[in-house]
Amino acid sequence: MSLQLTGVSKSFGSQPVLDRVSFDVERGTRLAIVGASGSGKSTLLRIIAGFEQPGAGEVRLDDRLLASATTTISAHRRGIGYVAQDGALFPHLSVRGNIGFGIPRSAAREGRIREVMELTSLDADFLDRYPHQLSGGQQQRVALARALAPDPKVILLDEPFSALDTGLRAHTRAAMTRALSQSGVTTILVTHDQEEALSFGDQLAVIAEGRLVQAGRPAEVFDAPASAEIAEFLGAALFVPAHANADARAVCAFGDLPVRHDLSAGARSVRAMLRPSQLSVGDNAGGTAATVESARQSGSAVELELRFGSAAGFSLTHRVPLYEAHRFPVGRTVSVHVDGGVVLYPETAASDPVRSALAP
Amino acid sequence: MPAGVADRKRPPVGLVVFAVLFAAAALIPVGYVIQAAFAMGWQQLADLVFRPRVGELLTNTVLLVVLGVPCAVVLGVGGAWLVERTTLPARRLFAVLLVMPLTIPAFVASYGWASAIPSINGLGGGLLVATLAYYPLVYLPALASLRGLDPALEESARSLGMNGWQVFLRVILPQLRLAMLGGGLVVALHLLAEYGAFAFLRFETFTTAIVVAYQAGFAGPNAAALGVVLAMLCFVVLVIEAAARGRLRYSRVGSGTQLPAPRVELGRAAPFVVGALLVLATAAVAVPLANVGRWLFATDAADWQPLLNATWQTVVLSVGGAVAALVVALPIAWIAARYPGRTARTLEGAYYVASSLPAIIVALALVTFTLRVVPAMYQTVATVIAAYVLIFLPRALVSVRAGVAQIPEGFEEAARSLGVSPFMAKLRVTAPLLLPSLAAGAALVALGAANELTATLLLAPTGTRTVATGFWAAASAIDYAAAAPYALTLVLLSVPAVALMFAQVKARRSR
Amino acid sequence: MRNRLFRAAIAPVAAASLVLAGCAATGENPDASASADALVIYNAQHEQLTEEWTAAFTEETGIEVSLRNGGDSELSNQIVTEGAASPADVFLTENSPAMSLVEDAGLFAPVDSATLDLVPAQYRPSSGAWTGIAARSTVLVYNPSLISEAELPSSLMDLQNPEWKGRWGAAPSGADFQAIVSAMLATQGEEATSSWLEGMHSNATVYNNNIATMKAVNAGEVPVGVIYHYYWYRDQDGTAENSGNTKLHYFGNEDPGAFVSISGGGVLKSSAHADEAQEFLAWLAGPAGQTILGEGYSFEYPVSTGVPARSPLPALDSLNAPAIDPSTLNGPDVVALMTEAGLL
Repeated sequence: MSLQLTGVSKSFGSQPVLDRVSFDVERGTRLAIVGASGSGKSTLLRIIAGFEQPGAGEVRLDDRLLASATTTISAHRRGIGYVAQDGALFPHLSVRGNIGFGIPRSAAREGRIREVMELTSLDADFLDRYPHQLSGGQQQRVALARALAPDPKVILLDEPFSALDTGLRAHTRAAMTRALSQSGVTTILVTHDQEEALSFGDQLAVIAEGRLVQAGRPAEVFDAPASAEIAEFLGAALFVPAHANADARAVCAFGDLPVRHDLSAGARSVRAMLRPSQLSVGDNAGGTAATVESARQSGSAVELELRFGSAAGFSLTHRVPLYEAHRFPVGRTVSVHVDGGVVLYPETAASDPVRSALAP
Repeated sequence: MPAGVADRKRPPVGLVVFAVLFAAAALIPVGYVIQAAFAMGWQQLADLVFRPRVGELLTNTVLLVVLGVPCAVVLGVGGAWLVERTTLPARRLFAVLLVMPLTIPAFVASYGWASAIPSINGLGGGLLVATLAYYPLVYLPALASLRGLDPALEESARSLGMNGWQVFLRVILPQLRLAMLGGGLVVALHLLAEYGAFAFLRFETFTTAIVVAYQAGFAGPNAAALGVVLAMLCFVVLVIEAAARGRLRYSRVGSGTQLPAPRVELGRAAPFVVGALLVLATAAVAVPLANVGRWLFATDAADWQPLLNATWQTVVLSVGGAVAALVVALPIAWIAARYPGRTARTLEGAYYVASSLPAIIVALALVTFTLRVVPAMYQTVATVIAAYVLIFLPRALVSVRAGVAQIPEGFEEAARSLGVSPFMAKLRVTAPLLLPSLAAGAALVALGAANELTATLLLAPTGTRTVATGFWAAASAIDYAAAAPYALTLVLLSVPAVALMFAQVKARRSR
Repeated sequence: MRNRLFRAAIAPVAAASLVLAGCAATGENPDASASADALVIYNAQHEQLTEEWTAAFTEETGIEVSLRNGGDSELSNQIVTEGAASPADVFLTENSPAMSLVEDAGLFAPVDSATLDLVPAQYRPSSGAWTGIAARSTVLVYNPSLISEAELPSSLMDLQNPEWKGRWGAAPSGADFQAIVSAMLATQGEEATSSWLEGMHSNATVYNNNIATMKAVNAGEVPVGVIYHYYWYRDQDGTAENSGNTKLHYFGNEDPGAFVSISGGGVLKSSAHADEAQEFLAWLAGPAGQTILGEGYSFEYPVSTGVPARSPLPALDSLNAPAIDPSTLNGPDVVALMTEAGLL
């Protein structure tokens, strides 16, 4: 019993947007789909919702065929809720009118409206307000309440937090995630924000250029990205040339380190990926030596430019807390330690010896 | 069911078929002009066109447009700037006074002037009355543009050391170019199409001459030949406007801003400016209304009798015209707003070209078309309504299109995802949101239709008497007293639509 | 898919418009008083006069009447263009040329001989295709403060001479004036008429209609104007607001300027109400219709024997008008000549 996509493809004109996307979402679980803008993730959501028809492939819900290249069940007959990026609240209707929009008129209607408002942490005072009288976060929660009200089998969220500013965003996300897990509805979230994707779901799917490139539990995907690109997309990553040894260890600029996952597929030259959070810098000896070339304050941290080896070597940026920065003046030689193992990927001709990706 | 894999940008076929059919119908008058020119043959056409009389008409008509449009633009832009960007005293009052001439049909204003000062006539009289009647067509868009302008630009110019005048000339005026061109185009087309106002003033233009030719020979060759020349004049005006506009497009003015724009101190000039505006208001509003009022005192009870019936007929015809115009405007507005592209531009272009033709040509075309092709439609309400649609369609199109563009597609999708059928989604979400725009478009068409004279005279069923034709019958027989109740009714019928237009412009800032 | 969506949405709107168009097409007329069965009169006579007639006629006979108002030339050309499909039952004009146009197109049914017998032969065409129903005389209205009686022209033809430049007014776009020119064409020939029209183009101030012309003379804009008599008498009978400063000059002497124009009435061959139409025409030419002319507001001359003109009009046979068979007056030729002269 699940939502099932099999080989879903779609093009606009000659432009392919989705290429044979397949996955299952188990009932009551949450799936986050993450991808850069233009990766086709919104189109995927719109195909599931019924606003677009796939060019090939099938969408099934509990074994009922929802859409294929030749047939389609109209959006309003699918029982799939949808929350758009901007909420799409009807401006001419009050909160009550919006939330009650999809509920048939009956005695139970008002009760259901209050129920989903409570679920989404909306105060009952809002009932008679109009969308323009609400904050962005409140609007999104009303939109979710509205989508939940008809008790859909699946809820689709299309970047519902991206229009909110940072503070509101975390708060709204927490409230909505709580509401969704309480209601137990199957949920698919589409986002370009890795943090959001990693923290939202039971499952994570990564989509790039219209293809589903990796899916699995978020921790697994983050721990073992299927490719260097995915690794980089999911968060800051460092790549250094490495030599793999037979005993699941690799030698690189940071020394002889354990290999967590070898995804190099036997390539002759490989590189090791590690996360900046695995690095620690000390002034004692024992680690890899590096020189502090410059220091720049950034918020509550200081970004140190560390250079390894001679002038021909490589450098990387490392963040240390502000209160520790005095230990690493410019020109000082420091010692860099690595915790945990590395993931090995094949070396590509174009890649730099080391990439620092503090921000995506 | 068509395959749903089609390109997202392509409008639905059914909708395009509707729009193309309507556009084809809208081009009937253009077809009539072309057909008339060819049917006559070069020789006859040349005989009718290349003669001194046509030269006189051409001189009059061209002078009217060449002098009238700049006057209207100066009055309209100047007025808008004064009330919106200066410390003019009582500017709220003047903002309303300046738009009020729109409530007085040009031929009523002309009647007011002609009955007050009979010696007003010819080009001078025509220019006076027409400029005063039509400058609000520039004033309103100029006001809207000024309200939509970012005051930061003006503030920056001030900080660069420009004074109020320099800011106006070098910053504001260039940004009002679209409003001036658009308003000027509308004024030019109105000047070319006006009949009643000039007939009172014994000022002969192509339009008045076509009516005379029609009276002398029905829809005969002379009327058609003059119509060909007039249609060409209209196209020349369209082409000039398009060339002057260049690559600029009439897009929606930005959402405006909460910040008030800086106002220019009028200082010691204030009394003179107020004086000038009072003279303008007197000439454009007070003189016509005072004369209507004066003649109202001279009317007897019998003059009021036919008014109720005429008002009823006017309401039926203009509401019918407004509804029909919405029906025609909706498909093309939908395509233009939701599926912008070449199809949309071509269709819209066809509508605008078709609607630039004066009412008299539309009327001649429909008389000829119905008599020859669909005799069952001859002299029917349906034909009058069709003429109203052809003449006033742009008014509906602009409103409806802006309305559709303001409704995100996401609303319907959201509704469908809530289990509501597409039809009900349109009914429960799109329709209520579109209603204000539909109402605005309908009001503008109804206003035009209620004041329409020539097409109504030529096309209406036997026995029809609208307020405008009733006014015309009485006033052209110089029975000024009997005409006065009709004039008053025309003004009163116009007030709601003009108030609505004004409110829309005023609402810009609060959005 | 979208297709169907939109069709669903547009359906009610389209339905509404079809209903609307349907109402219109089935002849739903916004005029509550006009029924589909009414006698349709294409009326080029003064509306007020025809309404006096039709009100009395309907009251007497119970026959409903519906008017389509317009000018002589417009409505006559319209009838010719409409041909057998014309909705008109009766055609009434102010002047004869328009009647001739319809007669020449063969669209009139012969008038009942009993009706013709009511009208003396000089006031109706010999063909019997239509009949005169009223008459009006050409006059020169002048403003004594600008011109003395002695300076007045002795003939209408004089007004083409240079000394009249800028000193007279007329309304050449109206059928009234065109009828006067048609009489000139019939009596003086094409060459004389053509040169007179050219003189007019350079001399005359052009007004929209007779009232405007008279008003201009009254206001002192021009010393004299060529109009029909009844406009002056009507105004004098009322407030004299537009004629108080003016007097009338009759040319007499069978001058083109003494032309008496016959207003015509005829029944269309294509009429669906031929009996009622003939009845209406007989009623017009009979005592009831003619008495309205002799006593009513119009000040036009009755043409039936024995019905006197309204006081203080001079008797019709005292005017010394040129004798012209009304059916010989030609509208299109006059329009062509006037177009050539640059007056149209």
